[in-house]
Amino acid sequence: MADPRTFRLRVRYAKTGRLAMLSHLEVTHALERIVRRSGLPFALSQGFSPHMKLAFGPALPVGVGGSEEVFDVTLVSYVAAEKALVSLQEAAPPDLWPEHAAYVEPASAAASVAFTVSTYEVELDRALRQLIAPDQVTVVRKGKKKVLQVADFLVGEPVWDGRCVRFTLRSGEAGSLRADAFARECLKLSAQGCEPFQIRRFMRTALA
Amino acid sequence: MTRSDIWADVAPLLRGVERPGRYAGSEWGAHRPPRDGFAFCMVYPDTYELGQANQAVRILVNRVNATPGMVAERAYLPAADMADAMRDANVPLFSLENTTPLREFDCIGITLPHELCATNVLEVLSLAGVAVASEDRTEDDPIIIGGGPCASNPEPYVRAFDAILIGEGEESVPEVLAAIKEGRAQGQERAQILKALAQIEGTYVPALHDPNAEPAPHVRKRVFEGFAIADPWEPMVVPFVECVHDRLNIEVLRGCSRGCRFCQAGMIYRPVRERPADAIISAVERGVAETGYEEVSLTSLSTTDHSQIADILKRLNARFAGTGVRVSIPSQRLDAFGVSMADAVAGQKRGGLTFAPEAGTQRLRDVINKNVTEEDLMEAVKAAMGAGWQRMKLYFMIGLPTETDEDVAQIGHLADKAFELMRTLTPPEARGRLKMTVAVNVFVPKAHTPFQWDGQITPEEARRRVGLIRHAVRAKAVRVDYHEPKTSLLEAVMSRGGREVALLVEEAWKRGARFDAWTEHFSEDAWHEAARALGLDMEAVAHRRLDVADPLPWDHIDSGVTKSFLVRERSRALAGQTTEDCTFSACSACGICAPEGPRIVLQEERGIHG
Repeated sequence: MADPRTFRLRVRYAKTGRLAMLSHLEVTHALERIVRRSGLPFALSQGFSPHMKLAFGPALPVGVGGSEEVFDVTLVSYVAAEKALVSLQEAAPPDLWPEHAAYVEPASAAASVAFTVSTYEVELDRALRQLIAPDQVTVVRKGKKKVLQVADFLVGEPVWDGRCVRFTLRSGEAGSLRADAFARECLKLSAQGCEPFQIRRFMRTALA
Repeated sequence: MTRSDIWADVAPLLRGVERPGRYAGSEWGAHRPPRDGFAFCMVYPDTYELGQANQAVRILVNRVNATPGMVAERAYLPAADMADAMRDANVPLFSLENTTPLREFDCIGITLPHELCATNVLEVLSLAGVAVASEDRTEDDPIIIGGGPCASNPEPYVRAFDAILIGEGEESVPEVLAAIKEGRAQGQERAQILKALAQIEGTYVPALHDPNAEPAPHVRKRVFEGFAIADPWEPMVVPFVECVHDRLNIEVLRGCSRGCRFCQAGMIYRPVRERPADAIISAVERGVAETGYEEVSLTSLSTTDHSQIADILKRLNARFAGTGVRVSIPSQRLDAFGVSMADAVAGQKRGGLTFAPEAGTQRLRDVINKNVTEEDLMEAVKAAMGAGWQRMKLYFMIGLPTETDEDVAQIGHLADKAFELMRTLTPPEARGRLKMTVAVNVFVPKAHTPFQWDGQITPEEARRRVGLIRHAVRAKAVRVDYHEPKTSLLEAVMSRGGREVALLVEEAWKRGARFDAWTEHFSEDAWHEAARALGLDMEAVAHRRLDVADPLPWDHIDSGVTKSFLVRERSRALAGQTTEDCTFSACSACGICAPEGPRIVLQEERGIHG
């Protein structure tokens, strides 16, 4: 249950540039340190080893940036959202940049469960002539091979425009399909014997 | 001329390597200096994870950046996958701040933190596209300088470095860089610049030193005399990827004069200099605010010896109550006071408590001058049980000078006795949770210590002695932890070898040796093949016992502690006589203090704590 005496701030930030190379865990540590440096009155969990109350949007793979990423931080006293945003910006590196902050209702879903649909954009080293999406993607999890049916995750059809590929994936009961694994298969099929494509930039551009 | 930024060449490689964040730079607290003017690159010769928190890199980059007319950047040795990818793609080793190739810097500084990084130094130079041997470098190459604890016996490193800085670098690194800058501005040749460097106190230029000539020149260790009054807040880089010692480290004192006779750090970092409690507390406050770290470590060789430590911990605990910030101290002194200090910072967490009695009998502890008694250990155990700990780890060494089978077996008996005490102080239903680990390491003789003349025992003998400990231990919950360290031999060779070892390092590297400190990379064969090719007997270097009258390969290095003190300490050791810590009692005349030079700085009188 949400504590009625606390305030939940939802922060939208961008993971860009060199910091697109960070893993999800590295990003969560970096965000926690940004909040600590910001001096905001963050809430701590009770118990054996108290930790900051944070919730993060869905994980991004290493090498994938995001322009609309989110995290929630719980505060123990009210700070105007615009003021909180400035404090966070002062404590953040330019490639992990808080762009917007607003309070969310205590009863609303946390950032960690509120977002299930992700749209990605991949920029390649050259234009595509065709785009072929796989039916299945085989992934290795904890040493076990698992075959995922693309239809369970893909929303609409992937589209391309010159050197740019765009696709949308949904996570749900079937788990989730990693965007980098899906893109890798797409590019392998689409290259068809030609020189493999090189990824120049890989971003999540929308979360819903 | 503007230095290049090769990020565009580096970025594509990052999609194919493990943990690419460690090559991306841009960390919080890192500054991107302009790409022109005189520049220094400070290198840690191992991976980013191991080297990011290194104090030498942190301090020296700050010092150089604070000196007008020069800038500093950082570089680390890429992990094997990245190093291979860089070689395949012809991408040279680069600095993190500006992704500038290392060979474009005016000077490269490589720290030598432990004995197993010598081949990594060559790997750094080779990836940087700089000749691995000083004698092969051209006028356009950067000047390569080294330093750090392992420079106290510089001979095994002389082929790689143009100059080696002995002692603390806070002042000497900017001085050396200023001399290089001056020489370059005047269009001097390398040889001339190196001659000028040799004039700076604490700087050893191997090319100008003939190891067979008598008398050897004395290179005097540098001591940063302003340490105690310098601000303990040392600005730092906060990494994104997980690293060792990933926390706010505040250096509270330097040096330790407990005088353990096997310990090199205890000899080469003298004299003891404490920083004041007030300065330490404001440094921690500022550091927490600027870094966002939730863990603070008060670092030094013996933090619990600080004369104001109880007060410092009390004030920090009060200051950070309710913020989630934890304070820790790196090691515990083996007595009840040590436990009470560990208790003061442990919060609700009670992990394992670690102590280092080092030897199993009072006789041998007196020989090594480890001034602790069995009673101290039992008092520490009692205090630890009272404060709620359930796991203990005891460190011991085998192969110490004069060690007998009786000393070795007593390690097992002592552990049993301590464990039995843990049991009796614990209610029967909780005894199942009690655990004790006995960690055993092989003694490595180190230069500039009273045991520098003593040889190392052979691996077979080490195995036999560990067997004696295992046989002696009765309690099932006492685990004897001994990893067959194939690298102990190499450590001893690097620690007490002479100039001939420098060639060995180069030959081993040519045969594929790198990352020698990593079990999965260490190539024993490469070293043995190199030794065979050179007709060098590594075992003889490590195991030989020298006479105090014999010349030593590091005799030309003056650590401040006199050789006569080391000789005296060695004969006291053999007589079973201990020597007291001069910061608690009378001066032991080690030679480090001078009327016009370094001296001990204590904030208050050090006393025996209750």
